[in-house]
Amino acid sequence: MPTVPPGSIFVTDWHRSPESREYFNKILYKKKRRKFGLLEAPVMPPNLKADTVRYKVFISGKSGVGKTALAARLTGLEIPNVHYETTGMETSVVFWPVKLRESGRVLFFHFQLWDCGENVMCRFDHMLPSCEEQADAILLLFSFTDHGSFEDISNQMPRLTDPSDRVVRLVVGTKFDLFMHTDVTESEITAFQEVWGVPVFRVGGDVSSGMGEIAPLLNALAENLWHQDCAHASNSLSPPS
Amino acid sequence: MLPSETVQLLCLTASSGVPLFSRGSCKQLPFSVIGSLNGVHMFGAGQGALLSSCETERDSRVAWRVFQDSLMLIAVSGTAGASSELHLRRLLENAWNCMVLVLGQDELANVRNVERLKRELRSCYRLIDRLLERGGKDQGFMGDLTHCADCLLPSQPGILQETLDSFTRAADSEFGCLLVRGRLALATDKWWRLAPQEVVLLSALVNSLSGTTSCDYPVFLPQGSPTVAHRLLCFQLLPGVVACVLCGPSPSLQRAESELVGRFWSPVVEALRVCLEQAERSTLPPSVRLRWDVEALLIINRESRRAVAVCPHARGHTPSEVPPLSSPAHRWELLRAFYTFAVTRYFTSEEPVALPTSPPSATAERLHEEFSLGFTHLPVQCYLVTDDCKCYGLQTPQHQLFLLTDLSVPTFALRTVATHTLNAISTPTGF
Ligand SMILES: Nc1nc2c(ncn2[C@@H]2O[C@H](COP(=O)(O)OP(=O)(O)OP(=O)(O)O)[C@@H](O)[C@H]2O)c(=O)[nH]1
Ligand SMILES: [Mg+2]
Repeated sequence: MPTVPPGSIFVTDWHRSPESREYFNKILYKKKRRKFGLLEAPVMPPNLKADTVRYKVFISGKSGVGKTALAARLTGLEIPNVHYETTGMETSVVFWPVKLRESGRVLFFHFQLWDCGENVMCRFDHMLPSCEEQADAILLLFSFTDHGSFEDISNQMPRLTDPSDRVVRLVVGTKFDLFMHTDVTESEITAFQEVWGVPVFRVGGDVSSGMGEIAPLLNALAENLWHQDCAHASNSLSPPS
Repeated sequence: MLPSETVQLLCLTASSGVPLFSRGSCKQLPFSVIGSLNGVHMFGAGQGALLSSCETERDSRVAWRVFQDSLMLIAVSGTAGASSELHLRRLLENAWNCMVLVLGQDELANVRNVERLKRELRSCYRLIDRLLERGGKDQGFMGDLTHCADCLLPSQPGILQETLDSFTRAADSEFGCLLVRGRLALATDKWWRLAPQEVVLLSALVNSLSGTTSCDYPVFLPQGSPTVAHRLLCFQLLPGVVACVLCGPSPSLQRAESELVGRFWSPVVEALRVCLEQAERSTLPPSVRLRWDVEALLIINRESRRAVAVCPHARGHTPSEVPPLSSPAHRWELLRAFYTFAVTRYFTSEEPVALPTSPPSATAERLHEEFSLGFTHLPVQCYLVTDDCKCYGLQTPQHQLFLLTDLSVPTFALRTVATHTLNAISTPTGF
């Protein structure tokens, strides 16, 4: 499924608008991101009701590419500065409010991010199927400091662009802050985007408390998932989940 | 050899002394030193002697241990004062257990390809580094030293225990536990029957994953199942409250989470909140009142190998002239030191000095036995008066208590205070 251009379904940069503050405050605690247990969710006052839609997002990529770091970045946890292999499968939850452009309706996206260490995945067979089972989206990670990881994704793309499956795929380049050591050039990225029609997101560096660094990726993820569901619903005449 | 306060852990192949990894301490030991440390152990073995630990002239301490005739672990500490021999011995054992937990014993016991093993061992670094940094020491986690589970005693466990039991069964398992702020609040009967080191290790693993909402980790149990992996599923119900089950191939993480977590735990979410709030104040239920002059304590149930450590945030009803409490980190450190002192000198039954591994150690064990036989009695109480506090250790068939009190407690009254404290905790809680 081709990706939708940013801002075509949701209000662009809504996190900057004052009216979004009440919603974003629900995912903050003492100016940091609030952590939610499985039995918790943001609770809005009745006049600001917002539905929650849940999606499973699988973060995939080579060992050391920055999967665990990306999950931490998106959930607002501390980003590890040494590489400790993830020796199992971990999920973490991100709530993200968006506003539909046409209806003005507000939704909370509930992303469940699935992160599995690459090495443990090779040693135990049940992990990859578990991550892929009913995944709504896959983030394909490469690192700007490792050309091999970029080539891997380029090689996988032909297999991955099967229009019939209902999986949103976005490509994320990590360690963009280490531009001094970058191994992947701008022209390669441009060419990749043109060939596959898939946008490449760049992440890296410290996360300040603002939402600016993560908003583009989370909004794109939300918008594409919503679009995918709507397209599917209009085909099958069942409402989006 | 090393800057003080640091410990370095080395791992080599036992047969040929090929270094596999070295963790801890900012500055690595030079290769020649590592070679000598290995050499001196091998030399001993050649002479039929087992070298298990030593102190150097410059106050460093070294401990060696070979596991499964395959891998040698060596721990080197900066200053002898900072790391006791007990600490180093525990460290070697804990590090080995971490390696088995992650990789399984087969991988470690039969080294076929050294380069591959080196790569695989990297996956153990997170747990090993936490051990070396003594992650959680400021919160008073002592399981790495005591090999007893760090527990907290919830005031109303009934309903939560029932929930845990049925949740665990629904996940096709008999092994389940509930951790609150890193401490075991509840567990199923079977969980308590895991080896104490395993209980400690699993808690440490779960605590190292603090940010994640749920997880599915393959784990080998160093005693119970060293060659077959189980799955440890953890669910962060509230931030700081984690339910865990140890299970086989089913259920999948996704199914357990979507079908079981809400169904079993949502109805008791208020009870969980109460438990969490209690844990923020103390590891003991509010019904237990401690004397104001208690500065810290560790109580161990010797049968179930459970431990509760307490370090009051503030004094209770105090006479006005009493100075404020020193920092919790400081008192935890003193408590560890006193525990080490007491179990290595007096309450030695828990602490066999020799390591029952290979033939040479049999001699050491016999020597130790002869030495113990020379003692006609088994100490049941001990005390120590320092510049900071007074310490009292008490041993009954069921419990051990290690108590730190304010200096104002008269030394002759320590025994009474300790006995009173032991009863004040064990009677209402049944611990
Ligand atoms: N500078 C910089 N470093 C990063 C970034 N993302 C990840 N890293 C570093 O890269 C290393 C590996 O990151 P991880 O997220 O642990 O790697 P992983 O993909 O989870 O690896 P496995 O769990 O082994 O599969 C860590 O030291 C991170 O600090 C980034 O965007 N910028
Ligand atoms: Mg990882």
